Amino acid sequence: MSEQLRRYAYPLLYLLLASVCAIGVAAQHGPSEIGFAPRMVLNLTLPLERMVTLPVQELRGVWSDYVALVGVREENDKLRGRLARLEDENQQYREAILSSERFQRLAGFRSQREIPMVPANVIHQDLSPWFQSLIIDQGAAAGIRPGMPVITDSGVVGLVAGTTPGAAKVMLMIDPQSRLDVYVERTRARGTVRGAASSTCDLDYVLRQESIEEGDLLLTSGMGGVYPKGLRVGRIAKVDHKTSGLFLAAQVEPAVDFARLDEVFVILEQRQVPEDDAFSSLDEGLWPDPPPPAKPEAVAEAAPRAAPEAPAPRPGRPAPARAAEPAPAPRAPEPAPQPEPEQVPPWAAEPAPPSDPAPADPAPAEAVPAAPATGTTP
Amino acid sequence: MSALAKLVGIGLALLLGQVVARMLLPAAIQPDLILVFALAMGLRGGGLQGLVLAFGAGFVLDVLSASPLGLYSLLCGTACAATRLFDKALYLRAAGPWAIYVGVYVVANWILLGVAQRLFAPDAISDWAGLVLRAPGTALATALAAAPLLSVFRRLLSETDSEAAWPVLATHGPRSR
Repeated sequence: MSEQLRRYAYPLLYLLLASVCAIGVAAQHGPSEIGFAPRMVLNLTLPLERMVTLPVQELRGVWSDYVALVGVREENDKLRGRLARLEDENQQYREAILSSERFQRLAGFRSQREIPMVPANVIHQDLSPWFQSLIIDQGAAAGIRPGMPVITDSGVVGLVAGTTPGAAKVMLMIDPQSRLDVYVERTRARGTVRGAASSTCDLDYVLRQESIEEGDLLLTSGMGGVYPKGLRVGRIAKVDHKTSGLFLAAQVEPAVDFARLDEVFVILEQRQVPEDDAFSSLDEGLWPDPPPPAKPEAVAEAAPRAAPEAPAPRPGRPAPARAAEPAPAPRAPEPAPQPEPEQVPPWAAEPAPPSDPAPADPAPAEAVPAAPATGTTP
Repeated sequence: MSALAKLVGIGLALLLGQVVARMLLPAAIQPDLILVFALAMGLRGGGLQGLVLAFGAGFVLDVLSASPLGLYSLLCGTACAATRLFDKALYLRAAGPWAIYVGVYVVANWILLGVAQRLFAPDAISDWAGLVLRAPGTALATALAAAPLLSVFRRLLSETDSEAAWPVLATHGPRSR
């Protein structure tokens, strides 16, 4: 019996244990509480395993934190360079997206207007603190002539002061030489916006009995013939109620942010503005070298010839400033009926402003105006 | 220290070695040291004690893994019994045949694992595509790890058998020596 038991003990024991295991495996369905025996095994083996794994983990940490970091500096430099390139690329993409949005907005604005216009990019801003101008990348080759108004979807920018075949200089409406005939949208009161060489303009020649308030929107009246009627000029920022005088004064905040001007439109409407020879005759280079000081005889000869055509501009100032919209006639307390804008020549019909010491006679329509009458010279 | 305790100690050491190997080696070349232990328990001298130790090693593996409790026990016990069956025929007393046997059995063990899962735990079917890819590397690593351990196991098993540490289960005992 004992011999038979010994002979069959092994297979019997195997079958017994295997059956227990198979039943145990088959009996398990999903998660369940850990039994006593497994818990004991866990309690015995886990501390041992922890003792082994902790040093291994420390060793791996030393390896990954120190040994494996050899060469990381070089890789870091490479990655920094790559990051810089990607940031640069990203910036270009961002700029392209912004440009696209601007162009879409401008295209929408352009399609709303039936006036023929040429889009142009601003390529230069005036560096002088006294004058306010910019240069655009479209010129005479695109049909742009001096005197043409320049606008954006926000409002009036200024007008073309001179051209080369590939570029044009734009005198901004905040330039001291600039004059715009405007009216207040709310009350239809008329006045003149004058550049102040700063971020704001002045509103002049508004009759005292007119009602204007801060925030009133100013639109071009079209009276000067340079700008189409109804373009936004700006909003009244501050009203100065004088105790005396015929007119009110106010500060105007332009509708256009001239510091962030990237694209503009030039309205292709030819005006009778004498071209600036000094600027328009340039074939190469936008700005000519300053001419040598003229001899007194030459000046004396040139002066009578130039006088009938145009007023002598200020030294250093571009002559196309004459193309700015002429200042309106100063209105008496009882305003006379305004002439039709289309019938008034742009720069001939308006008399000199009242600030002129000499009383200005209204010039004939055909006559070339004097400088104050054009509103281009302060 | 008795030879039985030494065997238990070796089994524990192999278990911890497998834990370390899992931490350090890629999955494709991790040796199955518990299976080596279970196979070695079927060598001459293991007897019933070896079978119990093999089942016990599988049980520990069951507890420490997410497998259904008893699955690895069944496989380890089967491995032990298979070694006992093929011990004389394959001459597993030399390192070469022993290593080849272990390598082949690793693959066979996976087949048995699949069969056991199908039979007893159909919900716990493994990712066989991944296992097949890992099989050659694991078999080779296990065979290489098993070869140097053969002499240690043989010595301890013979000591265990001669000590008759578990007389009821000793099959050969001092009589066979």
